[in-house]
Amino acid sequence: MSSKSNNEVLLEVKNLKKYFEINKGFFGRSKEYVQAVDDISFFIRKGETLGLVGESGCGKSTTGRTIIRLYEPTAGEIIYDGVDISELSENDLKPYRKKIQMIFQDPYASLNSRMTVGDIIGESLDIHGIATGAARQERVFDLLNRVGLSKDHASRYPHEFSGGQRQRIGIARALAVDPEFIICDEPISALDVSIQAQVVNMLDDLQKEYGLTYLFIAHDLSMVKHISDRIGVMYLGKLVEVTDRNELYDSPEHPYTQALLSAIPIPDPEVTRNAQRIILEGDVPSPINPPSGCRFRTRCSYAMERCAEEEPVLREVNEGHFVACHLMDEKFPITE
Amino acid sequence: MADNKISTDMWEKVDMSTLDKEVIARKSLTYWQDAWRRLKKNHLSMIGLFFIVLMTLLAILGPFFSRYSYSDQNLELGNIGPTMEIYQIDDNDFVYMNKEYKLVEVTEDGHISKRLVPTDEDMMQKYRSYEIDGKEVVIDYSFAVAAKKSGDPDAKKFEIRVNGDVIDIHDKVFNKTYWFGSDSLGRDLYIRVVYGARISLLIALVATIVNFFIGVLYGGVAGYTGGKTDNVMMRIVDVIATVPLLLYVIMLMVIFEPGLKTIMIALGTVYWVNMARLVRGQILSIKEQEFVLAAKTLGASSWRILVRHLIPNAMGPIIVSLAMLIPSAIFTEAFLSFIGLGVNAPMASWGTLANDAVAGLRTYPYQLFFPALFISITVLAFNFLGDGLRDALDPRLRK
Ligand SMILES: Nc1ncnc2c1ncn2[C@@H]1O[C@H](COP(=O)(O)OP(=O)(O)OP(=O)(O)O)[C@@H](O)[C@H]1O
Ligand code: SF4
Ligand SMILES: [Mg+2]
Repeated sequence: MSSKSNNEVLLEVKNLKKYFEINKGFFGRSKEYVQAVDDISFFIRKGETLGLVGESGCGKSTTGRTIIRLYEPTAGEIIYDGVDISELSENDLKPYRKKIQMIFQDPYASLNSRMTVGDIIGESLDIHGIATGAARQERVFDLLNRVGLSKDHASRYPHEFSGGQRQRIGIARALAVDPEFIICDEPISALDVSIQAQVVNMLDDLQKEYGLTYLFIAHDLSMVKHISDRIGVMYLGKLVEVTDRNELYDSPEHPYTQALLSAIPIPDPEVTRNAQRIILEGDVPSPINPPSGCRFRTRCSYAMERCAEEEPVLREVNEGHFVACHLMDEKFPITE
Repeated sequence: MADNKISTDMWEKVDMSTLDKEVIARKSLTYWQDAWRRLKKNHLSMIGLFFIVLMTLLAILGPFFSRYSYSDQNLELGNIGPTMEIYQIDDNDFVYMNKEYKLVEVTEDGHISKRLVPTDEDMMQKYRSYEIDGKEVVIDYSFAVAAKKSGDPDAKKFEIRVNGDVIDIHDKVFNKTYWFGSDSLGRDLYIRVVYGARISLLIALVATIVNFFIGVLYGGVAGYTGGKTDNVMMRIVDVIATVPLLLYVIMLMVIFEPGLKTIMIALGTVYWVNMARLVRGQILSIKEQEFVLAAKTLGASSWRILVRHLIPNAMGPIIVSLAMLIPSAIFTEAFLSFIGLGVNAPMASWGTLANDAVAGLRTYPYQLFFPALFISITVLAFNFLGDGLRDALDPRLRK
């Protein structure tokens, strides 16, 4: 599915930062910041899927939510279709609320339990004045149909549905405004393994049918493999490696990516034999006081002195392959 | 890292048409239907609800069943209880003797006709004589002093003689004229209690409206906006909450006249603070949930998010606390009226009725009994209902 993208960039994120202020001490006199997303840059081409992976708490959701302006970015640019939307007012943002949509992680918390499925899906039609009356109903039925639900589900309440069905209702809600770009924030993590494939397949079909662009967030590499064209790996608020899916799986460069890949169980004894499991030691450090230099150095088996002093920058080491690690300087010397 | 052995074609596409299109078997129940179903199982709550409905009907329709208005008085027929011990003078003449040893003409089944005028009366000799249908009826209450001295409550205090023969109680009947008895000014207690119910339910209504429109919205806006606005709004609430209600009402009396209006203004301006706090807390925890974020990504306005998403999801605790706040509002009004800061005479509220009754409590306990009974029933009914609602609306109990 990698041939579907053309070269036009739809979204470009430049030096995006999102710090959360937390008050500590009496009367909040001493302020501290959670550096949830710290200076990340990447782009997504029209019609492609960028997978974003990383451990829990590394800032994936924050990245997604900042892009869609649920959070105000601390710094950086979010260039969507040539327009920087990072500082637009809620009013100017309204057209983008139709173009960019989001699918959420928790199928239980993401649907308002006091509204019928029909109203949940139809809400955006009311907000944007897209359809009313019979047309609205027609559209709701159509959306339900598209995600494999039937029209008599429209009058029911979310608690009557299973996790997978709820997630499809969430997808229908996102599709209601005919979006171009959908941020999928771990849409399958909370689902049973048996229905994960179902939802991924559906997203894949919808992408083909409507030419959608996805930012697909997941916490391990096995989940994004089948849907992503390119994959970005995040660690503690930083993007450490971005490249094509195949390149990432075949020749991962960043020590963290290598560790993540080795953690995927492989149902093939032949491969398992020559695969070596890299076990990550220690815990993820706190994003309030991240380690100096390379944030991964506390758990990296290749860590050098330089890693504590100097922060590695994300650099293109191969065509379309970006890595942030000091080891790269030796392996891929800067040519000029 | 080659797991390249797994390729896309190893995944099998599931045919969407076969998926979950089947209808869900269970009957569709909304949150409220479900809550109602559970509330119905709680007997105490249903009794509470029954009494609230009954009280409301009484307040609305009660006056139609009475010939009197709350201000009609008949000084001659004061202090007659809801049950009367009547004496038979002859075949069709019955009298009731009140606690002041005066006779009132009644019918056998308990209707009151008029107070009789004594033909002779001697306060020193402690007797009073009447002429009824040609017979001489004498009330001799000279035993009262001795009875009081003996300390025995059952000692004989008086005797009634008809043409010289002592007669005994004929019957104990219900007062058909004044169902709950009459007060010291001869006003019908029943109609006054009914008007008291009107006032109490009016207070309940005011408390509800105020809590809903000020408390819920104020708390909702503070919680949803957050930050500095929230801080300022909640400090205002703190200030209002620290002023004791009693002091506040007394201060208001300086500006307005004492009366129902003042109590309503007092309750209206301060009674929503607890609700505001509760709602704010609820909203703070709900607003981070993903369905609210989803509404934002769809471009919903803050108002829409507040009214369509946040408040409906906080409705359970709101209703429960409303059911608990109403009786306390009713009680506050009764209390303020009781200590003389409430409604003005001749208007009656349960609190003023109770207050009026206190002076004659030992002789006419029924005058306190009825307003106290109604206050208790109403407050208990709301509390039972509130308890049941808390269980019924608790999402943790949902299946
Ligand atoms: N509103 C917030 N206020 C303060 N800190 C926050 C807030 N939201 C997220 N964080 C912190 O920012 C960091 C990144 O959180 P984020 O939710 O983006 O992680 P994630 O990668 O999506 O993790 P997960 O896989 O668990 O969803 C975490 O340390 C989290 O505690
Ligand atoms: S920069 Fe250093 S610590 Fe960081 S990943 Fe590379 S080698 Fe490891
Ligand atoms: Mg997340």
